[in-house]
Amino acid sequence: MNTTSISALEIARRVRAGELSALQVLEDHLAQVAAVDGTPGQLDPPALDAREEQKVHAFIQVTADLARQQAEQVEAKVARSEDPGPLAGVPVSIKDIFCVQGTTTTAGSRILYNFRPPYTATTVARLEQAGALILGKTNLDEFTYGSSSESSAFQPHPNNPWNTQHVTGGSSGGSAAAVAAHETPLSLGTDTGGSIRQPSAFCGVVGLKPTYGRTSRYGLIAFGSSLDCPGPLARNVSDAALMLQVLAGADPKDSTSATQPVPDYLAALAEGVRGLRIGISPDYDHIAYPDTETGEMGIQAIQPEMNQAVREVAQVLASLGAEIIENVPMPNARHGIPTYFVISRVEAASNLHRFDGVKYGYRTQKPVQDLTELYRVTRAEGFGLQPKLRILMGMYVSAAAHSAHYYQKALRVRSLIRADFEQAFDPTGPYRLDVLLTPTTPTTAFRRKEVLGDSVLMQYSDQMTVGANHAGIPAISIPAGLDPQGLPIGVQFFGNDFREDLILRVAYTYEQATQNAAWRQEIPQALRAAEVK
Amino acid sequence: MMTQYEIVVGLETHIQLNTKTKIFCSCKADSWGAEPNTNICPVCSGLPGVLPVLNAEAVQKAALLAAAMHAEINPVSYFDRKNYFYPDLPKGYQITQFDEPIGKGGYLDVHMPDGSTRRVHIHKLHLEEDAGKTKIEAGKRLVDFNRCGVPLVEMVTEPELHSGEEAAQYLTELRQLLRWIGVSEADMERGHLRCDANVSIREAGSTVLNTKTEIKNMNSIESVRQAITLEAQRQIAAVEAGEHVESYTLDWDADTGTLRKMRSKETEADYRYFREPDLLPVKLSEEEIARIQSSLPELPYTRKMRFIAEYQLSPYDADILTSERSLSDYFEKAVRLSSAAPKTVSNWMMNDLLRLMNDLGKSAAELRLRPAELAEIIDMVESGKISPATGKTLLKKVEESGQKPAEIVAAEGLGLIGDEDALRSQIAAVLSESPGEVAAFKAGKESLLGWFVGQVMRRTGGKADPKRTRELLLEMLKK
Amino acid sequence: MLPEKITREMFDKLVSLAALELDEEENEYLRTELNHQLAAVKELSEIPIDEDVQPSLHGIECQGNPPRKDEWQPFPDPDAILALAPEREGRYFVVPEIAHLSEEGQ
Repeated sequence: MNTTSISALEIARRVRAGELSALQVLEDHLAQVAAVDGTPGQLDPPALDAREEQKVHAFIQVTADLARQQAEQVEAKVARSEDPGPLAGVPVSIKDIFCVQGTTTTAGSRILYNFRPPYTATTVARLEQAGALILGKTNLDEFTYGSSSESSAFQPHPNNPWNTQHVTGGSSGGSAAAVAAHETPLSLGTDTGGSIRQPSAFCGVVGLKPTYGRTSRYGLIAFGSSLDCPGPLARNVSDAALMLQVLAGADPKDSTSATQPVPDYLAALAEGVRGLRIGISPDYDHIAYPDTETGEMGIQAIQPEMNQAVREVAQVLASLGAEIIENVPMPNARHGIPTYFVISRVEAASNLHRFDGVKYGYRTQKPVQDLTELYRVTRAEGFGLQPKLRILMGMYVSAAAHSAHYYQKALRVRSLIRADFEQAFDPTGPYRLDVLLTPTTPTTAFRRKEVLGDSVLMQYSDQMTVGANHAGIPAISIPAGLDPQGLPIGVQFFGNDFREDLILRVAYTYEQATQNAAWRQEIPQALRAAEVK
Repeated sequence: MMTQYEIVVGLETHIQLNTKTKIFCSCKADSWGAEPNTNICPVCSGLPGVLPVLNAEAVQKAALLAAAMHAEINPVSYFDRKNYFYPDLPKGYQITQFDEPIGKGGYLDVHMPDGSTRRVHIHKLHLEEDAGKTKIEAGKRLVDFNRCGVPLVEMVTEPELHSGEEAAQYLTELRQLLRWIGVSEADMERGHLRCDANVSIREAGSTVLNTKTEIKNMNSIESVRQAITLEAQRQIAAVEAGEHVESYTLDWDADTGTLRKMRSKETEADYRYFREPDLLPVKLSEEEIARIQSSLPELPYTRKMRFIAEYQLSPYDADILTSERSLSDYFEKAVRLSSAAPKTVSNWMMNDLLRLMNDLGKSAAELRLRPAELAEIIDMVESGKISPATGKTLLKKVEESGQKPAEIVAAEGLGLIGDEDALRSQIAAVLSESPGEVAAFKAGKESLLGWFVGQVMRRTGGKADPKRTRELLLEMLKK
Repeated sequence: MLPEKITREMFDKLVSLAALELDEEENEYLRTELNHQLAAVKELSEIPIDEDVQPSLHGIECQGNPPRKDEWQPFPDPDAILALAPEREGRYFVVPEIAHLSEEGQ
């Protein structure tokens, strides 16, 4: 039978036991990519016919040769009965924001179209050491700046495997699509405001944003350095736990990486939810949305199926012995996006300073008068609209004249957002939550081009997720049904600092309890298309 | 009548710490003589995705310097990003310390040749990373990142210096201090110690700060002295001529000894400082701060004053002997180990040891001749075991051979002949060889005594104990 | 007090500070979006906040590794870094002349 439909845990078990060939696993997944992915993202894409419109386009680059070498190493180890690692023979795709020696690392931007880093991100190195097969680099919003993956300089952008006329979400859209379309059982993404969880919700997969510092940022091309978090995308919760186990841990190359010990995430999964306190907040059943002319904040309802899903998930968990705590106040959640608009932009603008056409990457071919012109023309040609917008916003709100008003204020509002969670999780406080349950997104996957260009509306699709990034806490998004259009719905569990074990456990319990739900039997359109061909 | 002008100078110094590695990566700190772009890594050359990791030793040395400058050591200091575009700055921002630096306040007392002391206050002492180097060659600007990430301490003085002379003296004492506490090689020619000067003038007695010019590219203390003096004269002349002083940046040309106007300063650039999110706050516990402060050695001026008081050295000698820490340590050890007077030890060091060090190009710390041996040699001379001349040659022999002075004296028979019979026979020989002089002496020409002593010395190759010889000669001549 | 909207003049200055240059269409779009984003963050200034609320740098208080030891570990392949340069001369990175420096002496 085809290994593209079995879990990473099962693949690794069989490969380690010598029952399954890593090369066979790889070839199965390469065949799946060939069947569903279509033209990879590129700078000057060809015209796409109707069939290409049906494809997933998760990848910018498929690294079959690299993966084959790794598969051979795994097999050699198995043959020598050495330990091939916990991810032995498991194909993994990598968001193209991670530096991987031997691959081109583009960040989805023209300015890095030819950048081949002489070093490998710590998280990727750990995957390789664990026996994973690095199958390719997935497409993303340029420099991760977006929530739909449409803004990549490398087109075509990824399409939602459930309906290719809809977006994958973003910025880890290629990763979410690759997992949903069974191209790789696992993918490595990054989450700065929701970039793992939001596309996971849109594509019906599991996505976990760890505690800030739990996973190393070394080798991750930075967006918002105080917010960025590498994390796993997977088809089920135990695979996410397995991958996090490999990724997590202190890194001497990242001063902000956490030294706290890493628990055994898999071992904790099956402990159930009896006695756990699971909160629901009225501040997460709608969003506050500004009038972009006046800045007046208005309340906006979210797609009703989202709140419906939260209630259903709560009922399932309650039936398994969890205690549901209603009306947990999260009054500062509404400030998440405005605060993010300031903090992430200030950090992004600074992080983009280094791209200047001098040391690596794209440099304008036009003749230039002097250095300043080289900088301007190179950056003008090398950056797309979204990086430019973030640079300008970041520079404006951190200017000496405005910093106190915007940036310094935002850092303090960030403390208020954190305080909401601290109160909710405080073991001696009024709520004493183990996890907080919310929708992952205000809507299911929107149609392509529907939001692209409206930078405010696009940003607000992170309203439900961004709180975890401000607070630094872990959160996981898991599938919880399909909406009437057949598009996946995601719900999210927030946990306290370094309690990835708890949110995984609750997510796993729900997942197991709903194995036979009708909606779980549905198959993404892109897979059906691949089968009928 | 003529207006009197006061010159107002503030110095911005950059001190390269002598750590093994750079401040945020594990490349060598010192690239002296290295090929361009050989001492670089993804971190210091600003590749994407990589992260800075702080060098603990840089923090220790910066804190020690803060203590030596009488600055308050900040228990929690922060790194910030200073954002600007320049080709020698590969990240497009410099990691530096802005509003919470490792050192706050502090001062250096500068001791002028006329005996006066000027207290120069520091308003900021902070850690930062150095930038790379660029140069023009064949119309192209070439960039070398070897120097990127070298740990620097920036210290900015208040405008409390009032001449090129004072500025030079400040730097001389700062350089001595930096070497004394071992945080920097402080070699200006090699850029370990860099200095820009802000110069303005005002009517004597006034307290206003007038428009200042900034002088850059002064890579010796002499350059600083000359450049500031020259610029102050230029400003005075300008004002006398009814012109205004404009806010220039001036480039010092050491070859021609002239100042070159670079450009009028634009309004201060906005660096958009913000906390470096890739680094954690730098925390120093009370215990650590106490340990650092107590590890601070006795400072040069204090030690000089103590030498004068404790050992009755002349200010001149004390000054020389405290010019460098290992030399002053050497002196004190020798004094402790020798039974001779400190002044005698000082004389030996001033006259003979320093010459030896000079000839060999060695510092006191590098000598094989340790204080114990110097003390031993001095004591042998003082007790008459060897002659002063022998003592001087012994210094060299010990340094060259590494042998103990006593061993050399024994081996080469350099000891003085104090043995009576040996001396008598030598003297008898001299007397029998010179009957004429003996007769003359007996006839009353006692001034010949010295001549006889000389003869004995010649026969014994200078090893005869002069005192005994004289006594025995008189005895034998008189009978 | 802060301007309600970013004018064309302010915007153009910002663009040049950012070492960018924009065509008309980009300029229009980005200025509009920037003003929309500034409208969206306007509420920040209205949030009442106690004096004792400290700025938060990472959300959580990071418990990272202590500063590293001062030990030399050379990067194995500096030439690989140099090889990435769009323009090279010998072992140097090359950039065009810097305008204000070329004015030296004038």
